[in-house]
Amino acid sequence: MTEFFKDPVLLAAALGSGLPLLSMAVILIFTRHDQRVSATISVSAIATSWVCAVFLLVKLWGAGAAVQYQAPWLIADDIVIPFGYLLDPLSLVMLCIVATISFLVQVYSLGYMAGDPGFSRYYAFQSLFAWAMMSMVIAPSMLQLFIFWEMVGLASYLLIGFYYEKYSASQAGKKAFVMTRTADIFFFLGLIILVLGFGNLGIISMNDAAQAHRLPPYLITISACLIFGGVMGKSAQFPLLTWLPDAMEGPTPVSALLHSATMVAAGVYMFSRIFPFYSQSPEAMSMALAIGTITMLLSSTMAMATYDLKQVWAYSTVSQLGFMVMGLAAGGYFAGVFHLTTHAGFKALLFLCSGIFIHEYHTNDFRVIGKHGGRSLTIPMVCMTIGALALSGIFPFSGFFSKEAILGVLAQHPNKLWLGAGLLGALMTAYYTFRLIFFMVFPQGKPEHHGGHASHDHGHGEEEGEHHGYIFWCMAVPVMVLAGITLVLGFSHSSLEHFIMSTVPGALGAAAREAAADAHGEGHGAGHYMLLISAVSMAVGGIVWAYMEFGRKGSKQEGFLKKFPAVEELFARRWYLDDFLRKALDKAVYSGLTSVFTRNDRRIIDGAIDGICEFTVGSGRFFSFLQSGMLQQNLLVMIAAVGLVVLFFLFS
Amino acid sequence: MSFLSTESFAQMAFWVVVGLTLGGACIAVFPRNILYNVLGLALALAGVAGLYMFLGSLFVALMQLLIYVGAITIAIVFAIMLSRPLHLEVPERRMPKVAAAGGASLLVFLALVGVGLKSRWMVAAERSGDWSVEALGHAMLTKYNLVFEVISLVLLVAIIGAIVTAGFTRRLSS
Amino acid sequence: MNTLGVYLIIAALLFSLGLLGVLQRRNLIGMLISVELMLNGANINFMAFNRFLTPDPTVGQIFTLFVMGLAAAEAAIGLSIILALFRKMRSINIERAQQLRG
Repeated sequence: MTEFFKDPVLLAAALGSGLPLLSMAVILIFTRHDQRVSATISVSAIATSWVCAVFLLVKLWGAGAAVQYQAPWLIADDIVIPFGYLLDPLSLVMLCIVATISFLVQVYSLGYMAGDPGFSRYYAFQSLFAWAMMSMVIAPSMLQLFIFWEMVGLASYLLIGFYYEKYSASQAGKKAFVMTRTADIFFFLGLIILVLGFGNLGIISMNDAAQAHRLPPYLITISACLIFGGVMGKSAQFPLLTWLPDAMEGPTPVSALLHSATMVAAGVYMFSRIFPFYSQSPEAMSMALAIGTITMLLSSTMAMATYDLKQVWAYSTVSQLGFMVMGLAAGGYFAGVFHLTTHAGFKALLFLCSGIFIHEYHTNDFRVIGKHGGRSLTIPMVCMTIGALALSGIFPFSGFFSKEAILGVLAQHPNKLWLGAGLLGALMTAYYTFRLIFFMVFPQGKPEHHGGHASHDHGHGEEEGEHHGYIFWCMAVPVMVLAGITLVLGFSHSSLEHFIMSTVPGALGAAAREAAADAHGEGHGAGHYMLLISAVSMAVGGIVWAYMEFGRKGSKQEGFLKKFPAVEELFARRWYLDDFLRKALDKAVYSGLTSVFTRNDRRIIDGAIDGICEFTVGSGRFFSFLQSGMLQQNLLVMIAAVGLVVLFFLFS
Repeated sequence: MSFLSTESFAQMAFWVVVGLTLGGACIAVFPRNILYNVLGLALALAGVAGLYMFLGSLFVALMQLLIYVGAITIAIVFAIMLSRPLHLEVPERRMPKVAAAGGASLLVFLALVGVGLKSRWMVAAERSGDWSVEALGHAMLTKYNLVFEVISLVLLVAIIGAIVTAGFTRRLSS
Repeated sequence: MNTLGVYLIIAALLFSLGLLGVLQRRNLIGMLISVELMLNGANINFMAFNRFLTPDPTVGQIFTLFVMGLAAAEAAIGLSIILALFRKMRSINIERAQQLRG
């Protein structure tokens, strides 16, 4: 116990990751009926966590090596699975992201969720999520990571289905749960292969290049691919991407925290966590690259065809996650992580801004919000535009730097197809982002005043004061903080890069450093400028395109997609992915596997057991004639036998 | 060769006793009326007592009469009275069973006779001719004391067991 | 006539008749009677061996007396079992007493 107080780092790690759990327990057990106390407990717990995280980051900024605290937990023969904390630059950065955004979102929720009957429950779940996510981030072994990975999935399920009385919300929760769980099966299978091959699941030892030789390469590829299955589920990669848009049924702050900034990034985080391990298998990297690209392009097209504010951001989240996977899979460790960091900031910003609009206008349709004068809410509008610019990759916002880093990595890849796909993705991202912005800023046509509650000017007259009072500021302040972060974060590029690359272990780390140095060195060459210019021009091109179609005065505000109804239908229906999955489930699982297994169960397993039973019973029945209960028969047989024996010995 | 010599008389008496024994045994086994069986048993036991006399032990013959004919037969008669009314129908014999039992008994009989006749019996070299009751009592209280004690114990246990078996069931069932 | 073989055959006959009764009678009391016959067959053997073979004639007599004592005990126990069985099953037919039948 005293060790905790002697070592401030360990104390901070334990406190930071453990306090939210405590707050959840307290809220659920004691203060469920007192909303004010619940919120206070939860927010102060997460604030302490934030302080701890920042303390750890500052304390270990120059530490160089990773700090690891662990106690043996599962010991079986020579397999030891530890439990504890691993504090290396990657986990510290991620810890700070999680703590910061959790804190901001919880403050924001004070306004957004005010008056909700499930207010305490909401904060309990938020604490649960914060605990699970932070424990996952600083897990030293893959098994601990997996456990909290599942806990995070549970928190996600609970929060998506927060409005459980709404049918679509509960369905979406179930869908998310089932889809991510399906993927986690593969994750777990991969872990089993690793345990069998390596004998331990420590992240540091897994990343040790020397250990890779203990497994044949094809096993490494198989396990890497299986583990990537977990990434596909959690980070909503193709073909399991449809749960994330549906997950927007949850409260908007939840979407901001879980389904854009942190939880869905857990997949990417795990990918980068064992990045050196993945580098052992070029095949798995290529697969990840292909899947990331497909995901990015598909979801970008989907975002063009929806009119739901949160859906657009959901699709953009999916596409940016795909983009991160592309960056990582192309070998850009830092690029992926950096985009993960910046994306967490600006995507949370975008969602929180959307939350303000949704809270104000009680609709998700951004055309309606625009018509009702959405731009009159100046602060969120400006912040949202900042977020959108960052998302599109415009200088000087954070997205610009990270996108440029990833594109730089892609440009080094021998196959230029990936670079082309990346640029196309950037164009589409800018297009659909500003399609939304222009719809809201330059609404065409008259607002429909008979919309009742949706009217800002009349319907909510008496609530006017409230909007600019406590609740509004609760929501506006975190938004402004995030906007500030988005503005500043990009400039921390080089110092963050130095920090994160400092402890990438082993020879591979050296190679990665070298590659990064190359990228940097080349960055000053002509090729880099070409890339920079093309990337920015893609983004600007997208914005201009969107302006021509939606923003210009007198424009019809119909995308080019209106001319191709079939394509629009395709995009709006998510490329029929859901239908495909449904069909596949029906065909393969229900009528195929299930019936086979059912038959197997009924006929073979049940049959075998029934057969054994019937054989036993039958043979018992058959032989029971011996046990006739007739004493005289038994005696007779015995006597006759004795007589025969005596006669036999007599006459032989 | 005189019919009335002591020897021929004794021989005749021996076969009468043997006939008495075997006839009584047949009456004890074959009739289906249980009372006849008991009477046949008494006859056979009396015959066996006679055989004992021919075998030279008047004491054991008297004990046979006392214990078997006097006590055990009476006990069986009590059992008949206490259990099943005599006027009830007796179940029919089943021939397969009787045949099988007869076969098994025949086997055992053949085995016994075979063993009895084929064995070469060794007569002890030196034999004491002391058949007196006094010698018997002396042996029983000295050399074979254990037999005496054990039979007392067995009888005691049998009495208690009989009381428990017959007595407690009545109390429990009523 | 007064030889060991004659006595042994008589004893065997008595024993076999008793055995026949035990194997074939359905009346429990009948079985008990037959058991007494078997015991007597054995007793005759003891007495015969005692008369013709043994050095000390007291041994066989004591054995016979011992068997008589056992027979008395057996009769007492057997009768009480018969009574108990009759009370339980309203019958002393041995073929009815087959609750343990498989």
